[in-house]
Amino acid sequence: MEGQTIKSANNTVLGRNSPRLSPHRKTSMFSAKMRSVFEPWLYLSPAIILLVLVMFLPLVIGFTYSFQHYSLFRPNDITWAGFANFEQLWSDWKFWKALKNTVWWTFGSVSIQFILGLGLALLLNRTFPARRLIQALVFLPWAVPTFLSGLTWAWLFNPVIGPLPKILYAVGLTDSAYESILADPAIAMWGPITANVWFGIPFFAITLLAALQSIPKDLYEAAAMDGASAWQGFTKITLPFLAPMIAITVMLRTIWIANFPDFIYTMTKGGPANSTEIVATYIFTTAFRRLDFGYASAVAMVLLLLLLAYAFILLNMRRIQAKG
Amino acid sequence: MAEISFSNLSKNYGSIEVLRNINLYIKDGEFIVLVGPSGCGKSTLLRLIAGLETITGGEISIGSQIVNDLEPRDRDLSMIFQSYALYPHMDVARNMGFSLEIRKENKDKRQSLVAKAAKTLGLEDYLDRLPKALSGGQRQRVAMGRAIVRKPRAFLFDEPLSNLDAALRIGMRFEIAKLHQKLGATMIYVTHDQVEAMTLADRIVVMNAGEIEQVGTPIDLYEQPQTLFVAKFIGSPSMNIVPASQSDDGIELPGGKTVKPGGWSKNLNPVQLGFRPEHLSLVEIGKADCTGKAIVTEHLGSDTFVYVDVKGWDPVIVRQRGNSNIQSGTELGISFDTSRLYMFAKDGKTIRGTDT
Ligand SMILES: Nc1ncnc2c1ncn2[C@@H]1O[C@H](COP(=O)(O)OP(=O)(O)OP(=O)(O)O)[C@@H](O)[C@H]1O
Ligand SMILES: [Mg+2]
Repeated sequence: MEGQTIKSANNTVLGRNSPRLSPHRKTSMFSAKMRSVFEPWLYLSPAIILLVLVMFLPLVIGFTYSFQHYSLFRPNDITWAGFANFEQLWSDWKFWKALKNTVWWTFGSVSIQFILGLGLALLLNRTFPARRLIQALVFLPWAVPTFLSGLTWAWLFNPVIGPLPKILYAVGLTDSAYESILADPAIAMWGPITANVWFGIPFFAITLLAALQSIPKDLYEAAAMDGASAWQGFTKITLPFLAPMIAITVMLRTIWIANFPDFIYTMTKGGPANSTEIVATYIFTTAFRRLDFGYASAVAMVLLLLLLAYAFILLNMRRIQAKG
Repeated sequence: MAEISFSNLSKNYGSIEVLRNINLYIKDGEFIVLVGPSGCGKSTLLRLIAGLETITGGEISIGSQIVNDLEPRDRDLSMIFQSYALYPHMDVARNMGFSLEIRKENKDKRQSLVAKAAKTLGLEDYLDRLPKALSGGQRQRVAMGRAIVRKPRAFLFDEPLSNLDAALRIGMRFEIAKLHQKLGATMIYVTHDQVEAMTLADRIVVMNAGEIEQVGTPIDLYEQPQTLFVAKFIGSPSMNIVPASQSDDGIELPGGKTVKPGGWSKNLNPVQLGFRPEHLSLVEIGKADCTGKAIVTEHLGSDTFVYVDVKGWDPVIVRQRGNSNIQSGTELGISFDTSRLYMFAKDGKTIRGTDT
C-alpha cells in the first residue's frame, strides 16, 4: 500500500511539473527529459527516505529476523534458520490458542464498540440541551493514556476492592460478590474487552456522527412522506449513507485492535493459563520476556499476513458492493 | 382524494409566531396556490399539512379526519420538495417506486406503476440512472414521478419549479396543469411566480406575515383586491400606488385636475389611489388627466412598459400594447379608466365605492 501511495503522488507531481519545464526543451531535449523524470523524485526524497527509515527498514529487519535463530540469551549464536521458526510455530499450541483468542478479542471488541458507538452517534445527532458539552465529554476516554485506563479497569474488576464484581452479583450475572473475573479462564477475556469497548466507543461515535451529520435532512422528510417508519428511514437511508464509513472504520479498528496489547498486558498479562493471550501480547512476551526475537518476528509476520489478507478481502467486498 | 381544512391554525417557534389565525377550506380536487412575500409562512403551512412540523394551535383536517397528531406517513399525502430530495443512492426507478417499496407492494405491481408514471413524465430512458446523472429538469420530473406513482389524498408542492430555467418552467407548468386535470387530485402549491399562480390556481391564497390576507380566484384577486397588500402583490408589473388627497369633486391629481373613481362619494377619505399599468392610456397632453416625462421604456415585444415621472408621485408604469416607440424625456399625457381606480383607506383596506 505504501508503494502505491508514493507512485500516485509521484504521478500528480509529474503531471503538474511538465508544462513548467518546457523552456528547457530548447537547450537540450535529453537533459530536460532526465530532469522531468528525476526532479519529482528529488522533491519527494525527504518523504521517501523517512518512509523507508521508519516503515520499510523495521519491516525488512523483522522479516529477516523471522528467518534467523535470534535470541538475546544466545547473542553469539545468531544463525540463519530457514523456515525453522515457522515450523516451530505450526506446532506451537500457545500460538494457535493466541490466534483463537485474537479473533475473539478483536471481533468481540469491534462489534460491541461498533454497535454502541453507532447508538451513541445516533443519540448525539439529535438536538438536546448541552449537546456540545456532552459531545465533548463523550470523547474523553481517548484522552486517558491506555496504561492508566488498563490499570483502572483492573482495579474496577478487583474482587476485593473493585465495584464491578459487586454490581455484577447484584444484577445476578455472577454467583458471588467476590467473583474474580480476571482470574477465571472461562470469562477473563471479558475484562480487557470491557475496557477496550469503553475506550473504543468514542472512535466509532465521532466518525459515524460526522457521517450522520452529512446526510441531508430532507431525505428523511421525503421518506416520511413516502410512508417510511423511523426504522425504514434508518435501514433505507441512514445505513446506505453510512456504509462506506462503516466499512473503513471497522477495517481500521479491526487491524488496530488485533495489534493492541495494552489492556490485556496491563489487566491480565495474557493469563490465567493463556486464556487471554492474544498474538500481539504473545509477540511481546516472546520478544521482551523470553528475548527470542527470531521466533517473535516469525509470529509477527504471520499476524501481518493475516491482517493484510483481511484488509484485502474487506476492500474487495466493498468494491464489489459499490459497483453492484 | 380529499378535502382539507384549517381552523384557527397557528404555529409558533418558541416565542416567534410564524402563523396565526389560519382558516381555510379546500375543496376536494381543488388546485390551491399559496403566494406571499418571502418569510410569510408558506412553507411552514405546507409542512404543517404534511405533518413535518407540529401545529401549536387549532386544527387541520384531511377528509373528515382531524390529523393534528398524525405522523406524516399516516397522512397519505405526497410532497414535492424545492430541493427535490431524491435519494442519491437509489436509481430513478427505485426513487419513484420507494413509496411502493415501503408499502411492500409486489415487484410486478411496483414496476408497472413506475413504468406508467415514467411514461407520463417522459422518464422511460432514465429509469436505471442515479439522480446525480440527471439534469435539473429531469430530477424535477423524478420528484413528480415519486409523488404520482401512488394515489395520495393530496399533493403538496413547495416551489417545485424555482430551480428550473424559464423554458423548462413553462413546460413543467403545463405538465402540472395536465396532471391536475388527469388526476383530479387536491393540490396545494407554493410559488413566487405570478404567472404560475394565476394560470394554475383554482383559488389563490395570499399570505402576509403569517396570516391569510385574501383568498379568491385569480381574477377575483386581480379585480377586487381587498387590501392594499393584495393589490400590490397580485399583478405584474404591480399596481401603481400614489398618495391621494381628496377635494370636493374627486381626488386631486398633479397639475390640478381631479378624478372620480367609480362609486365615488365625499366621505370615503382614501389615503392612497391605485391603478394598474394596463388600465392607463397615453393620450394627447390636452385631453390628459395628468402629465409627466417618460424616464425609461422596457420593450417586451408584446408589450411596452413606460415609466413616467409624474410630479409628486413615484414613477408610474404605463403598459402599452405592442412595441411603442417613446423616447425618454418625452412629455406624455396619462388618462385613467375611472372604473378601474382603487381607493385605499388608512388601515390598508380597499374602500368599496357606493355602487360597485
Ligand atoms: N425552525 C424555525 N425556527 C424559528 N423560526 C422559523 C423556523 N422555521 C421557519 N421559521 C420562520 O418562520 C417564518 C416563515 O418561514 P417559511 O419558511 O414558512 O417562509 P416562506 O413563506 O416559505 O418563505 P420563502 O418564500 O422564502 O420560502 C420565517 O420568518 C422563518 O424565519
Ligand atoms: Mg418557503
